[in-house]
Amino acid sequence: MFQSLRKPERDRVTITVNGHPIEAIAGQSVWSAMALNGQTITRRAALSGEDRSAYCAMGVCFECLVEIDGLPNQQACLRRVTEGMAVTTQEITETTEATNAGL
Amino acid sequence: MQAFDCAIIGAGPAGMSAAITLAKSGACVAVLDQASRAGGQIYRASADSPLPDAHVLGADYTDGATLIAEFERVDITHITQADVWHIGDDGRILFSHFGDTRELHCREMLLCPGAMERPMPIPGWTLPGVMTAGAAQVMLKSDAMVAKGAVFAGSGPLLYLIVAQYLRLGVPVAAMVDTTPRQNYLAAAPLLPRAMRNLPMLKKGLDLLREIRASGVPVYRGATDLQVLGDTRAQGLRFTSASRSHDIAADTVFLHHGVQPNLNMTRAMDLTHRWNADQLCWQVDTDAFGQSSVPHVAVAGDGAGIIGADGARMAGRLAALNILHRLDLLPQEGLDRAAAPDLAALAAMSPFRAFIDRLYRPSDALRLPRDPDTLVCRCEEQTLAQLRTGFEQGARDPNALKMLTRCGMGPCQGRQCGHIVAGLLSDWRNEPPETVGYYRLRSPQRLLTLDELSRFHAIPAPTEATE
Repeated sequence: MFQSLRKPERDRVTITVNGHPIEAIAGQSVWSAMALNGQTITRRAALSGEDRSAYCAMGVCFECLVEIDGLPNQQACLRRVTEGMAVTTQEITETTEATNAGL
Repeated sequence: MQAFDCAIIGAGPAGMSAAITLAKSGACVAVLDQASRAGGQIYRASADSPLPDAHVLGADYTDGATLIAEFERVDITHITQADVWHIGDDGRILFSHFGDTRELHCREMLLCPGAMERPMPIPGWTLPGVMTAGAAQVMLKSDAMVAKGAVFAGSGPLLYLIVAQYLRLGVPVAAMVDTTPRQNYLAAAPLLPRAMRNLPMLKKGLDLLREIRASGVPVYRGATDLQVLGDTRAQGLRFTSASRSHDIAADTVFLHHGVQPNLNMTRAMDLTHRWNADQLCWQVDTDAFGQSSVPHVAVAGDGAGIIGADGARMAGRLAALNILHRLDLLPQEGLDRAAAPDLAALAAMSPFRAFIDRLYRPSDALRLPRDPDTLVCRCEEQTLAQLRTGFEQGARDPNALKMLTRCGMGPCQGRQCGHIVAGLLSDWRNEPPETVGYYRLRSPQRLLTLDELSRFHAIPAPTEATE
């Protein structure tokens, strides 16, 4: 279970994760804001659709891809939260893409 | 467009040290970095830690704040949160910046892409809840975030460091599962006498191990047959130690199996690479000053071969001195004189590095998957069995296997599976890694949208750069 040991000093912002408002610290990574609020799943695996979560937390593995303000494929570990940011877990898989393409 | 004298990519110890050296001699420098503040992975948030007391992370970490402060004082163009996705050997660099596309030009370039963790493809390594020890460090440093009751498994100094840091912070640790093979201790022993010259480093490592042992955290040694438990998310780790099978319950499993150069930038530029048989990884081929097979492209720090943070500072300075010479800002005698101390210091570090490399040499059983159902390519979900089928169908090198199975074609562009695929093919063909080769990589090095490409800005150098 993730827990924050942060000293209580920085400005707070409100973001939404899958539509639910959560409080975060300005400048915090999107991944940590999600994880500390229990949302550890970031995206679905491309073929199986299985749940995936951050693996490296430093921008190398691309497992933490989420949609931020409507833009897909954003690395939650690299992006920083800002007031009003809307984060959604990325549901794109090969199956959904094929459906969208009318296949 | 006005070009920078030098563009540095990456603001870790190598990039920061190089920028300071270059700027102090009057070069016009741009530094592009992914993070919101300089430091790299090793000194991440060292200048503004969110922890109430960052000193528990150790002096090696907090000392980074001094370098960051010096870097932030020099007159350079430092672009934070820049995600570089194209580097041309014509001096053109393209990067994403807050959803826009930006471009700059430079005469000389210095790549400091740093290290990444060696993937550890054990069964269940793609389950949510499985992360790397480096991830634990990043979360702790940048967001003061910890995972209570986690199990740490693998081998190498970074693993012991993060466990010790957790313990100092009072964060409960379920167990430390050390996979260092017993034979590594024997194999490394002959290298110990020369490594003893670097007594402080050796003592630091032993102190970490002693600290962990004294804490009472269960420590298992010589562990083999690791497997993450759980169907849809991690529930623990199963392994064998002292001939007995153990199950440790934990919802977070941190894995570590050493680090290797982050290759995507240097590979995408098609620089010459060579196989490092001591560290079992590919690295860019450079001279003592970091100069690559393309003369105006240098690479410094762990991204050019693992040397650690102190070595990276020296390598960054050396690369900068050579670049100053190439820019006609430093005569040959000045270069020789200024470079001598760092060249000597780097050489003095190498016996200790050789000892560590041998002691924590990755075991084949953890470097390459054994279970046919284990995913090798996490992005395109290709298992060991599927890759083996592709090999048997005639795909004998990494690029052929990529074409046939899509391994390495997902968002991470082979960053995770590159060394695994090359290692497997080397095993299957019974030929050395040099013969097997590596993925051919291309720009863009990240996912882009057409919308982003349409928002394009060029960044000229701020003043007249030297001609």
